[in-house]
Amino acid sequence: MDMAKYRQVFLEEATEHLAEMSRALLDLEKDSAGAEAIDVLFRMAHSIKGMAASLEYDSITDISHLLEDRMQHIRSAGRIEGPEDLALLFRGLEGLERMVAVVRETGEPPPPDPELEGVLRTPLDPAQAEGAQKKR
Amino acid sequence: MARILVADDASFMRQMIREIVEAEGHEVVAEASDGVEAIDMFRAHHPELVTMDIVMPRRSGIDAVKGILELDAGASVVMCSALGQETLVTEALQAGAKDFIVKPFKPDSVIKTIQKVLEKAE
Repeated sequence: MDMAKYRQVFLEEATEHLAEMSRALLDLEKDSAGAEAIDVLFRMAHSIKGMAASLEYDSITDISHLLEDRMQHIRSAGRIEGPEDLALLFRGLEGLERMVAVVRETGEPPPPDPELEGVLRTPLDPAQAEGAQKKR
Repeated sequence: MARILVADDASFMRQMIREIVEAEGHEVVAEASDGVEAIDMFRAHHPELVTMDIVMPRRSGIDAVKGILELDAGASVVMCSALGQETLVTEALQAGAKDFIVKPFKPDSVIKTIQKVLEKAE
């Protein structure tokens, strides 16, 4: 397979997805239970994860996977509980944007960001985690 | 060689599956980027096999499997899943999907699964 071709498709598609995620997060700032925005964030993170895994961009795969998991919990709970959760999602998005920029500029897999991974692994708001648990 | 419909919301994944199956001589008769389009394309092209992503907008891949089986109870649908989606894969198989492949795609594994499903459908 011509991986250079797929890298280019990844860059185009990931850039569009990141812009959609950014718009969805701004929507969630106004409406913390916006179902469509929550769904878009989940699907875009999932899609970036799949593409990155295919190209063996492990750092992007890991961060998008953590964001996808977080959005899965939020989707089950039906809403974002607090500004901390939203800030964390913005941070995750910025991390992905930085990593995709590295691919664009160097053509190489970006280095991992263990600090961001750690932050994205922090538990959700307890009430939200409980709500997600009940809906499973 | 089979006529195949490829349904995935990511152009990246559609291109990758197309390249894998066309290298084996199969024909991709149509692509769909969401669950509603997948059903419409199935109705229009009557493919012998569908590769179906699970997470898609408008209607999920699992919903689209149900819609396709309402049109043709013998339809052969192979789900495209990711690690961690085991529950959804089980749901899709219970809904009538014939098998599944896991992302990131390994060409040999994709072809083997497709061949197996096509042979069973004969």
